[in-house]
Amino acid sequence: MEAALNTPPEWLERIVLSAIPPAAREAVAGDLWETYQSPHQYAVEALCTVPLVVLSQMRRNLNPLVLMLQGTMIFLGLGGAATLIFLPLLMLRDAYQPVTRPTPRNCIREAILLSSGAMILLLLIMSIHSPFPVRSGVDSFTWLSLFLAALFLSPFLCLFRAGLIMQGDRCQKLAGHDMSREALTKVYDSFQRGAFCRNMLEGVALAFAAATGFFFAWNTLLVGLFALMAVYLLVDTRPRASVAGDFTSVRAEYQRDLARQEQLRRFLRWLWFAPVLVALHARLAGAAIDSVPPLLNCVAVAILCFLVTALNREHGGRVREEIDQLDRIHEAQSSDC
Amino acid sequence: MDSLGQFEQIVLTAILALDDNAYGVTIHAKVEELSRPKKAARGAVYATLDRMEDKGLISSWLSEPTKERGGRSRRHYRIEKSGEKALRESARTAQRLIETIAQTLGGLAWKPR
Repeated sequence: MEAALNTPPEWLERIVLSAIPPAAREAVAGDLWETYQSPHQYAVEALCTVPLVVLSQMRRNLNPLVLMLQGTMIFLGLGGAATLIFLPLLMLRDAYQPVTRPTPRNCIREAILLSSGAMILLLLIMSIHSPFPVRSGVDSFTWLSLFLAALFLSPFLCLFRAGLIMQGDRCQKLAGHDMSREALTKVYDSFQRGAFCRNMLEGVALAFAAATGFFFAWNTLLVGLFALMAVYLLVDTRPRASVAGDFTSVRAEYQRDLARQEQLRRFLRWLWFAPVLVALHARLAGAAIDSVPPLLNCVAVAILCFLVTALNREHGGRVREEIDQLDRIHEAQSSDC
Repeated sequence: MDSLGQFEQIVLTAILALDDNAYGVTIHAKVEELSRPKKAARGAVYATLDRMEDKGLISSWLSEPTKERGGRSRRHYRIEKSGEKALRESARTAQRLIETIAQTLGGLAWKPR
């Protein structure tokens, strides 16, 4: 009975838990629970603590390059006011990134919602003819084709998402709860080698894309960005020597490196899709609002953003899972592994 | 190497003093003790711990979940070599300050509290 009285009320705890970013939830909620005296003290303590924890997580997860790229896209598409509203929201969303991969159920639900949204948009435009007079010679057959295309979008997006989930499931996970320093160093070295090769390959590919873009007169900003990233990857990436220190130091370095590489990958995924998004935006800006091409462009932009976000969430979730798993492993004697 | 801010020095010292028992609650209590009479917000301690971990000055890991924390784990902290080096550097600077102040205000029998 005593113990039950010295625990925070369930409803209050639930509110506090939902306010703490997932990456800090376990430690912060545990600390608040441990120092619990009364509901009032708990609520005041949580009110004073959580905002600073949220700000700290926003800073930790901030990817300035990705944010700049997203900001530019929002600015190009929706204007300055929308950019000012969306950027803090994007930062806040980053602070609340889950520590695990998104659940398959949520992923499939999102894919179905997106394709259903596209279908409903098309249906609406088909039914409301007067405010959206169809010029450009679009007949009912074209509308029907568009509707059917949207209908097939749902299984396509679901399949893509399911493929990503399966690929994530297949990826090798850390070997259980105990690991020796030597085994951890081996895993870390192998990760570093993989990251080095990937960065070199991607650097060369970006340099090639930048050169191609230069000759075919792409958007100058994008060509510059591609070239800069290529130089960064080729110059900055080099194989590092094994980390000195004990198990905890190696683990901390591995975790930092995992997070750093994921931040880089997150930006690169957006960067690779950026030329297509910019091209679609250019077409959208040049076309009449009531014709079919802008409508298709909007759908294409939504699908592309879905694909990049899905890739980022799946891979990012896997990395965060690995970091969390590393947090919980204990040091074992070297003969264990 | 970046120099440490005053609050970072206090948090690092708290972790050093607590040794194996350095986690959120104990670090906050020690920081309050070290920064008396000033109060330290627990959120500020978490933010500083996060920042120092990103700089590689400290490292952290989760312990086994315990009942007195509602089945949640503690996040334990430990100073890394670079953190130790930064703290030593700060201590040397503080020592020089103390000596200079003591020399200047010596006649007034000044001593740090």
